Amino acid sequence: MSTETIPDDDAERKKNRYQFDRHTPEYRERFESITTEMISECPVAWSDTYGGHWVAAGHEEVFELARSAGYLSNDHDVRGERRGYKGITIPTPDAPFVGGFLEMDPPEQRHYRQALNPYLSPAAINRWIPVVDELVRACLDEKIETGSIDFVDDLANVVPAALTLAMLGVPLKNWSLYCEAVHASVYTPHDSPDITRVRQAQQVMYRDMFGQLAEVRSNPRPGMIHALVQAEINGKKPDDMELLGVIALLIGGGFDTTTALTAHALEWLSEHPDQRARLSAERDTLLDSATEEFLRFYAPAPGDGRTISADCEVAGTSFREGERLWLSWAMSNRDPAVFPNPHEVDLARTGNRHHSFGLGLHRCIGSNLARMMFKRMLVAVLDRMPDFTCDPAGAVHYQTIGVIQGMQHLPAAFTPGPRIGDGLDETIARMQVICDEQRIAEPVTVRKASARITEK
Amino acid sequence: MKVYVDPERCQGHTLCAMIAPGVFQLDDVDGHSSAIDGEIPADQQVKVAEAIRSCPEQAISVIPETRYR
Repeated sequence: MSTETIPDDDAERKKNRYQFDRHTPEYRERFESITTEMISECPVAWSDTYGGHWVAAGHEEVFELARSAGYLSNDHDVRGERRGYKGITIPTPDAPFVGGFLEMDPPEQRHYRQALNPYLSPAAINRWIPVVDELVRACLDEKIETGSIDFVDDLANVVPAALTLAMLGVPLKNWSLYCEAVHASVYTPHDSPDITRVRQAQQVMYRDMFGQLAEVRSNPRPGMIHALVQAEINGKKPDDMELLGVIALLIGGGFDTTTALTAHALEWLSEHPDQRARLSAERDTLLDSATEEFLRFYAPAPGDGRTISADCEVAGTSFREGERLWLSWAMSNRDPAVFPNPHEVDLARTGNRHHSFGLGLHRCIGSNLARMMFKRMLVAVLDRMPDFTCDPAGAVHYQTIGVIQGMQHLPAAFTPGPRIGDGLDETIARMQVICDEQRIAEPVTVRKASARITEK
Repeated sequence: MKVYVDPERCQGHTLCAMIAPGVFQLDDVDGHSSAIDGEIPADQQVKVAEAIRSCPEQAISVIPETRYR
């Protein structure tokens, strides 16, 4: 191919164009119509926003692209040591920081996952169910006598935060210090007057994280942080900055996403009380499919960026090395070619090949944890607050859904009931003792047995 | 006919074992799936078909016995 054909070729390659800006409130408001339009007219399109990038919206196209490991890179080369690729966020954030192994390619990415898989496999996650049930019970007990709860503040924020810390090997009581910093950093716009406070909260969190890392190094205790300080990544021991990026990824991935899924599902069930009654009655057969359907429909993490690492032709489009690509999990989950009535929630949907945990070698490493926590929270609410009604006036959705499709508040009312156990602080203290004594945060290769809840 | 999970394609989404737990098993360490023995009991055929259809990586296939090692 001669060089002078390139301009023409470029125009031809980018003939499918779409003005795509997922960071605007308009994208959230018009999500269904934008999605329908892109999937039917330009399942892979060029957008001029953010320096220009490709957007893949069709299910088949996202499937093919996400699994083309030979042509895609997640690398975030912040020090300019390789090809200067910019990781998974579009646009590139102001502060260059490697977002853990989600912004790495193999072999480093694979070595991190191999170190962490024995903490996050289904067998590893199942050991935590008794602890999660106790945390959920305590969250509900705090509110059960009052007849009102905020499902985000009082439940869906708390359980993922406390459990993720327990699995890392960080004291559970630190959950609130991490929780607010993580959620607020996602939902606060960068030009908001509140951003200074949010950045301060983040600094406090990073200081604590750094302290935990140092403590685990000098005085080992079980948990994923221990696995990280022990890990050899491509023949090297990673430095603290790199490990902080990994811990931040596990925390970011573990907190806001499950919160978002749980809140949206509870909001939907409040709006569809007949479906709620059906789900509760038929949970033995319906809970798994309903969980996948809420994942498909609400896709908490709506997509991921990539960099094209070699000229290639994939999914009917010619890509050039260095170009940026947005893989939209959320839009591909609404493709009518795979999902009949894609904009409707069908709790019994079959063939639900949704992309909400991503695809290929970067599949969400916490997917088993997310599903387990979601199901335990949902079932407990159905059992103890079966007639809950969310208050639409008090519900606060994230203004934009470019990073996480989340909720900030979801107040609800229900018929009060009796407490059945101690409060949250006491329960967290008790779970800490159980974690320490039973060493539940060991990898499943060391400890196979489930946590036992001892009376106190 | 036997059911087979391609280990190169499987990424541990676990849907198959959720749908047909009698046919697929998940590795304790990384959660990746494999067929327990590849046999598809008569009462599991519908579930195996659903597992194949639901696999996000399209890693599951049914193959004639002669092609199975």
